[in-house]
Amino acid sequence: MNSYERPDLSVRIGRITLKNPVITSSGTFGFGREFEDFIDLSELGAMIPKGISLKPMIGNLPPRVFETEGGMINSIGLQNPGFEAFVKNHLPYLEKIRTPLIINFFGNTVKEYVELARRFNEIPSISGLEMNISCPNVSRGGIVFCSDARMTHHLVRAVRKVTDLTLLVKLSPNVTDIGAMAKSCEDGGADAVSLVNTFRAMAVNIHSRKAELGNIFGGLSGPAIKPIALRMVWEVSQRVKIPVIGMGGIMKAEDAVEFLLVGASAIQTGTANLVNPRSSLEMIKGIKDYLIRNRISRVTKLTGLFLK
Amino acid sequence: MASQTTAVVVSNRRVGSLYYALEMDCPPVAETVEPGQFVMLRVSETLSPLLRRPFSICKSYPATHPSRAKRGHIVILYKKVGKGTEKMTGWMKGQEVDLIGPLGNGFTLPPYPAPGQVILIGGGVGIASLYPLAERVKSREVSILIGGKTEDDLLWPHNSRRLRRNLQVATEDGSLGFKGTVLDLFLALRKDPGKGETRYLYACGPMEMLKRLADLTRSERLIVQASLEARMGCGFGACWGCVVRTNDPATPYHRVCKEGPVFDLKEIIWEG
Repeated sequence: MNSYERPDLSVRIGRITLKNPVITSSGTFGFGREFEDFIDLSELGAMIPKGISLKPMIGNLPPRVFETEGGMINSIGLQNPGFEAFVKNHLPYLEKIRTPLIINFFGNTVKEYVELARRFNEIPSISGLEMNISCPNVSRGGIVFCSDARMTHHLVRAVRKVTDLTLLVKLSPNVTDIGAMAKSCEDGGADAVSLVNTFRAMAVNIHSRKAELGNIFGGLSGPAIKPIALRMVWEVSQRVKIPVIGMGGIMKAEDAVEFLLVGASAIQTGTANLVNPRSSLEMIKGIKDYLIRNRISRVTKLTGLFLK
Repeated sequence: MASQTTAVVVSNRRVGSLYYALEMDCPPVAETVEPGQFVMLRVSETLSPLLRRPFSICKSYPATHPSRAKRGHIVILYKKVGKGTEKMTGWMKGQEVDLIGPLGNGFTLPPYPAPGQVILIGGGVGIASLYPLAERVKSREVSILIGGKTEDDLLWPHNSRRLRRNLQVATEDGSLGFKGTVLDLFLALRKDPGKGETRYLYACGPMEMLKRLADLTRSERLIVQASLEARMGCGFGACWGCVVRTNDPATPYHRVCKEGPVFDLKEIIWEG
């Protein structure tokens, strides 16, 4: 059997080798255990459980989800048990799975990000960190970190100093120039950028004349955002040399291939996991089939193949 | 344990003027489902509508069921309310349905013999999830109270004499049974001293109804289990979209789909 019939699906992000380019994204994957009835978690490229903060967060007032045409708006409000309860109650389960574990985390100050990164850095079962920078900087009047390239650069540099784990920065699409944001992450020492997070959105009920979400605002995800996410991944991949991890409305293998073609080295699955808990594994198979059909020996060859 | 499986429609017929009963062949769920648990159905193979829809299991027929033809079947009741359920009304025999279940924590049955009276109280389409519970509660003193706006809202899909005998209905327009809400009926019956003390109360219905029930029973020595309804993202605990506020100080918001849908009503904190 030659290499075209058994394509190499492995990719490298920073110091992590993934057996395939499919990563489950934070906030749509619970703490992994929620999927154990449906899939073999060890088949995933990497897992990113729900984002963690230093202290527990209770989350937003319900209703927290609302379905729209081709998408959903959520305002979970980053509900999570905090660092200590995560390490005690969830990490023991996750670290038994033979899939790289990437921790999504966030803070309200640079100090909190640094403190969390330092603590996660001490845990051997963790392969990488993903910074959520779509959070308000309380020591800077609550403006979100990701809205300012210099603030982002400063934050990434501060975190980089305290960890040698593979460091991803998850970018928000709610910015004027996402390429500039990605560049500031690269200059700050990030090993990769992942994009895009959800689009700020809202929905109104014309009968009650009230917002459909308890928090009024939420983030739009799902197939409706895919074309915009794809364009942003393309833009970013033109601006940085570090690997780009694409996401935003990827529902099937063909979507994943599109993101790889425009420059992503790997992809994250989000809303698809909620609709079909098996979708990540179905995508891995679909990407492999695509490579076989097109006689491409390794998935890394797809990255940026667009326009070549 | 939940599974993701392909169920096959056996029948999909209209019952009453508002509801549909969907019977599907789905052995993994029929075998293990407990009263109060639910399933998530993918309504379309396309991405519209995108999210699955939750439905309570109304009936299930395990492999030991006397009727061979029914074995492995489950039944859900639904009302045409939106795009998803509209699509479902067109399903015919043989239709394949992507289904996840059984999901969530169902009702805890009362001890047998139960001390005092057991009351089941349901409103609207919530009545469906009381049905398997009614079949399992073996207490001699059971009352089943169901209510709706009109006679058309009422549904009690059973002919068993036992389950009929203990049934009382309320309609807001008085078109059938007691005139008023099911909670009005509940209050009226509780004034009747002949029935003995109620210790176990089970409820399903819209959130407003459950909230009022919580107010009515707050000071009493009653065990009230209620099945909650919420908009769900996934149905299996991954997204934290369907939460309800509880008195748990460590994690105030619990997932209706995972820790619920059945909660001790006294633990719920009503917001908004």
